[in-house]
Amino acid sequence: MSFRQPSILPGFGLTFGFTTFFLGAVVLLPLTALVVRTAMTDWHHVWDVVSSARALASYRLSFGASLLAASINAVFGFIIAWTLVRYDFPGRKIIDALIDMPFALPTAVSGIALTAVFAQNGWFGKYLEPFGIKVAYTWIGIVIALTLIGLPFVVRSVQPALAEVQRDLEDAAETLGAGRFYVFLRIILPTVLPSLATGFTMAFARAVGEYGSVIFIAGNLPLKTEITPLLIVIRLEEFDYGGAAALGFVMLLISFVMLLTINLLQAWGRRRLVGDRR
Amino acid sequence: MSITLDQVTKRYQGSPVVNDVSLNVRDGEFYVLLGPSGSGKSTLLRSIAGLTGVDHGRISLHGRDVTHVSARDRGVGLVFQNYALFRHMSVADNIEFALRVRRMKAADRRERRKELLRLVALEGMDDRLPTQLSGGQQQRVAVARALAHKPEVLLLDEPFGALDAKIREELRRTIRQVQRELGITTVLVTHDQEEAFALADRIGVMNLGRLLESDKPDELYARPATRFVATFLGAANLLLARQTSEGIRFGTTPVNARAVERVETGREHEVVAVLRPEEVELAPTREQLQAGYLAQGQVEEIVFTGAIERMRVRLQSGAEEAQLAGPAGESGAALIEVTRTQPEQRAFPLSPGQPVFIGVRRIHVLPTPLSSFSAFAADEADAKKLSQHQLLAGLASGMKTRVSVRVDTTLDIIRAPGTKPDLAGVAVIAAGPDSARHVQVLLQRGAGEVLVLPEAIVAPKRILIHWVDETPRRATLAVSASLLRHVPAEAVYVGILPEGTSEAARPQGVRTLLDARSEAQASHGLEMRTELRVGEAVEELAGQLAESPEQLLILGVSNVEVLTERFSRLLTASPGWPILVVYRTT
Repeated sequence: MSFRQPSILPGFGLTFGFTTFFLGAVVLLPLTALVVRTAMTDWHHVWDVVSSARALASYRLSFGASLLAASINAVFGFIIAWTLVRYDFPGRKIIDALIDMPFALPTAVSGIALTAVFAQNGWFGKYLEPFGIKVAYTWIGIVIALTLIGLPFVVRSVQPALAEVQRDLEDAAETLGAGRFYVFLRIILPTVLPSLATGFTMAFARAVGEYGSVIFIAGNLPLKTEITPLLIVIRLEEFDYGGAAALGFVMLLISFVMLLTINLLQAWGRRRLVGDRR
Repeated sequence: MSITLDQVTKRYQGSPVVNDVSLNVRDGEFYVLLGPSGSGKSTLLRSIAGLTGVDHGRISLHGRDVTHVSARDRGVGLVFQNYALFRHMSVADNIEFALRVRRMKAADRRERRKELLRLVALEGMDDRLPTQLSGGQQQRVAVARALAHKPEVLLLDEPFGALDAKIREELRRTIRQVQRELGITTVLVTHDQEEAFALADRIGVMNLGRLLESDKPDELYARPATRFVATFLGAANLLLARQTSEGIRFGTTPVNARAVERVETGREHEVVAVLRPEEVELAPTREQLQAGYLAQGQVEEIVFTGAIERMRVRLQSGAEEAQLAGPAGESGAALIEVTRTQPEQRAFPLSPGQPVFIGVRRIHVLPTPLSSFSAFAADEADAKKLSQHQLLAGLASGMKTRVSVRVDTTLDIIRAPGTKPDLAGVAVIAAGPDSARHVQVLLQRGAGEVLVLPEAIVAPKRILIHWVDETPRRATLAVSASLLRHVPAEAVYVGILPEGTSEAARPQGVRTLLDARSEAQASHGLEMRTELRVGEAVEELAGQLAESPEQLLILGVSNVEVLTERFSRLLTASPGWPILVVYRTT
């Protein structure tokens, strides 16, 4: 690979420099600081913090709830995107605009709103109460909060891909004798899957890092409904900077491994779906 | 019959995109549906495939009524303009798609695939992805895929649209070859007449949702029945001429009978003549013309196109009245198009500005009874306004004919019968309290058709057809067919039995109705629905017209008195409907 690339647009050197500088200053530097800060801390202390029962429970909750929320979003986000792309109905534009609301709303506001709705005496929560379903201050509430903030990622990444699936393809498949489900499975899904996976990944990554909305609805009981980001804040408030950095480092590590796994799965899935090679 | 369409109609937001199309495609036939974009040809093809439902009519494939059968179960193969290949699948998977759906064994699938790839000359391309193929190759894959499940009918929707000229011709040959080899009944949709000529056993020309004509390519080219087909298939000069008992006359110039095909004598009237550019002969003097003399002219412009030379020649003297039918055809400014071969060019080289003598080798007279329009009114402003009436202007531009303005202050004066007819084409008057009288005057002065236009401009969606007695039946049908080719509306023939018709006489009425329908179909290719009513004719018609303002009535009469006595209230109604009176006495 050469750094001399003929191009219609000049300025490769300049833009490349910019790119490295920006990535370095904005992304890489803070991450490095995190690692360095962790490394500078006493190793025993780091180990105690990251392997405490409270920390382990928070990892499970954070990543488990995020995964669940992203999965829920993948299914329902797809359906919403499908409805918006394929059908024209009164109010379509409004619904389309509503999708982006979770982006714009301060996350604390959505957290408080959700709590108001789902608390035991809330609008909706009071009807669930007789059935013994508690949403607020349990892991269910956390999943709902994470679903809310992750939804636009899935809808917005699937929408353009779905719009691009030509009707002709479905028509062709139909004249060739394929039923609706077969057309969906064999024609539509494979075309949309990469975008769906992207949307899933983004929703997941966003959910892992979410803080504002969750702390209001979670109840924050140690070992039960305490997410890792909250634990980090608690450590900070105790002026245990080393411990906080260590927890952050662990989150970074797990996120990286999971995102990598999803990407690899995606690549493998693409081959599978294309294939059936003899 | 492989494909039978019976009065297929498909409406979109109330107006028909496919309008009463009936068609038979024979076993193994290569049928091409030709028409401009928006003519409804693709919708019709999708209806045959089952991807678009129809609102009315029946579709049968090989004798099986499939009107309500889904595309999945129709057993047709469809090829799209944009190939519609499954991009995430290899060529092999694309072709085997239909076989996989049918759970065919892998070995059988492979065998069928090899056979198909050989057929479309793509052997060894099995593992390629569609994106790795050229456009022509992709379309071959699409053809192979459409044929995989051995469909009974192959449908192609503008399959060459996205390809460049060379590839197009190559693929065209392949498709024709494959079609012959398999003997599969094929319908291809295109807007390209050259493509239609090259491929078709028969061509059906569509416009405004109607199937105008359907015949062998050479027949259609030589003897079109409609203006649209005449001008859409190749270039054509449309000239207004006068049909007399001796033959055809352009202004004062009678044209050599040898050049004229199918001369029907009878009532003297205006006709539309088709003159193909290659049937025009140019010579330096009248004596040197080998074909019949038409007029003198002057070369206006010459375009060299390789094999032939295209030019426009302005008519000057000899046929002043042979105005070109067309928007540009202001009298005296008539241009005709001429093409000449290389030998012709060498024998008589021409340059712009040069005077020439024009001869015609062959003229075809269209059987249409609607030649041109004359807007009548008592003063010039009213006549002008009438001639620009949107419905009339739309008709005239669709029919490529002209609307002349006639100022006439004698519309109220009933003259003694027997005066020499001095009217050409359809007379048009504005609706008003006197319109019944005006119609009477115009008919007595020799008009064959009078159109009464109310001021309100409403595009008719339904055209009612009725004749008072049997005498004007043929003419009324011919006029209706001609008009309906230019109006996207549905035709309904209203048969009316007099009040008190006995039960025993009713079947007779129904038979008349069906006879009218089959005559319209057989002689004019006009599909119409029929309705039988019992009662007083004018009451029944008024009742039906009252249903909606978006209607037009074509009324056939043989007696002026009967018209004015019985139907004047329709003609003078306010706001009223457009009414076209067709008058024939014999």
